[in-house]
Amino acid sequence: MIEVRSISKQFKEHQALRDVSFTIEQGSVTGLIGPNGSGKTTLIRIMNGVLGATSGSVTINGLDPSAHAEKVLAMCGTLTEQSGLYENMSGRDNLMFFAEVFGVQQHTARIDELAELFELQEYQHRKVGTYSTGMKKRLGLARVLLHRPSILFLDEPTNGLDPDGIQMVLRIIRRLNREEKMTILVSSHVLSQLSAVCDRYIFMEKGRKVEEGSEQEIVNRYLTAPRLEVEAALTDGWSAAAEFNPEIISTDKAIFQLQSREEIPMLLRQLTTKGQVYQARMIGSDLESIYFAIREAHHYE
Amino acid sequence: MNNRQAIKALVRKDIRAITASIQLWLPMLIVPLIVGVIMPALLIWMASRVELRSIGNLGFLLDSLDLLSSSGQIPELASMPTDNHRIIYYLALYMFAPLFLIIPVMASSILTANSFAGEKERKTLEGLLFTPISMDTLFKGKVLAALIPSIMLSWITFLIYGIIANILMYPMFGAIMFPNWNWIILVLWVVPSCSLMVILLNVLISAKVRGFQEAYQLGGLVVIPLLALIAGQASGMLLISPVLLLLIGAALLLISLVLLRLVALWNSRQQLAESQI
Repeated sequence: MIEVRSISKQFKEHQALRDVSFTIEQGSVTGLIGPNGSGKTTLIRIMNGVLGATSGSVTINGLDPSAHAEKVLAMCGTLTEQSGLYENMSGRDNLMFFAEVFGVQQHTARIDELAELFELQEYQHRKVGTYSTGMKKRLGLARVLLHRPSILFLDEPTNGLDPDGIQMVLRIIRRLNREEKMTILVSSHVLSQLSAVCDRYIFMEKGRKVEEGSEQEIVNRYLTAPRLEVEAALTDGWSAAAEFNPEIISTDKAIFQLQSREEIPMLLRQLTTKGQVYQARMIGSDLESIYFAIREAHHYE
Repeated sequence: MNNRQAIKALVRKDIRAITASIQLWLPMLIVPLIVGVIMPALLIWMASRVELRSIGNLGFLLDSLDLLSSSGQIPELASMPTDNHRIIYYLALYMFAPLFLIIPVMASSILTANSFAGEKERKTLEGLLFTPISMDTLFKGKVLAALIPSIMLSWITFLIYGIIANILMYPMFGAIMFPNWNWIILVLWVVPSCSLMVILLNVLISAKVRGFQEAYQLGGLVVIPLLALIAGQASGMLLISPVLLLLIGAALLLISLVLLRLVALWNSRQQLAESQI
């Protein structure tokens, strides 16, 4: 379990983090979402003990990373945006080097296993300097998994990848979480890419945590007054639902601004008695719309 | 965590990086070749074939040699048959000795600047900081990765220089003249301690700066005391002797101990990480 309590970080003039607190349960996949410069990377560095916090505390499975960095780093695998790979060495030599530094036993077998998982066999003997961004990212991921960490920190792992590359990374995140029960914190500035893998989200903005929870929890929290777009063929037109104040788009389409989620079944029941309802969908109810609304709300703070 | 395995891995990786980069190994071969082989060999060869007294500006050197001989600092000079013998003996066994120290100083500076500041510049240092190796292991690996090639390069140059000097001097003196105690102490005691001191100084500098060039320029300042030693030797004012060399080596080791303490004090994982952000 990872516990972050009131972490703040000041770099000379710049306040990178302000009073950030959250808990990450063991075996979960958490998305750390925020624009560039919102403090995600600094937070990951602090959680690993690579950077010290100005105030606050972190515990990783009960250990304080700033006091026990080596023990914490031995149980964590961290992929930062700078993959940390040596470009003058081949992919395989990079893995060999890090396996020795991590003290991995029987590292040849482990490297073969990871090269296969990340489809690197064909390129493993080529110098990393000749790799594409996607290949470097895959090799970087293989590097941080060498010592079989129980916690994985992935900082923008999909950055610079093509759609196939993104799908591969997401597939591997899912697999590591399901099969090896890894606790994973994955940061990104693109929420939509992570929605398929995350159990929970932490939204960051200007060094602050602005929201936290599962998709359902966040949606329920913000969706107090849902907007519903309805496509229907009604005998008497939209006057049949006049008490719900429809914004009429066309003869068969209207938008309803409701006061609560409870009004949705009431409205739909009423409409189905007056004609045929073909489609009803919530507008702005997806996590991404809510995320942008939250960001907008904190923009001027 | 097997520290020895990690240190070996770090040393192997850094040495491989040196051999893979022509910008690194070429100057490291050229300087020893010029300072340690070509220049001394050429001077000794010329000296063995030209009447040196006829060269006007060598007068000051002969005066110095007379002084060194009469004061008993190099008494064997007095028994030599010609000025050429005296000059060649002095050049081969005394004059080139401090010059020779340029080799470990230069190699250690380049290697350390590349290894530490270079890692920062190439954005690979953070990857190392995220591994569970202790900072102690990291520094040991980095220091050894510079120390081993630096000492090896000096020793190989010393061997080549020794062979050439003896080949050129044997016909004149009829005996193997090289090395004397000065050279043996220099190579086995001063070269390693000098390399260590320069490496630790460069580690300190590299940890504070962002790039290879900056580290290398600042590290170059260490050549200044060396130039003083060379000038002292050339003018005959400060003649190296086994005792002086033992003292220099000890002083360098003492400075290294202080630097080592500073390296440990100023370079925690968090300080290193913050210095490159």
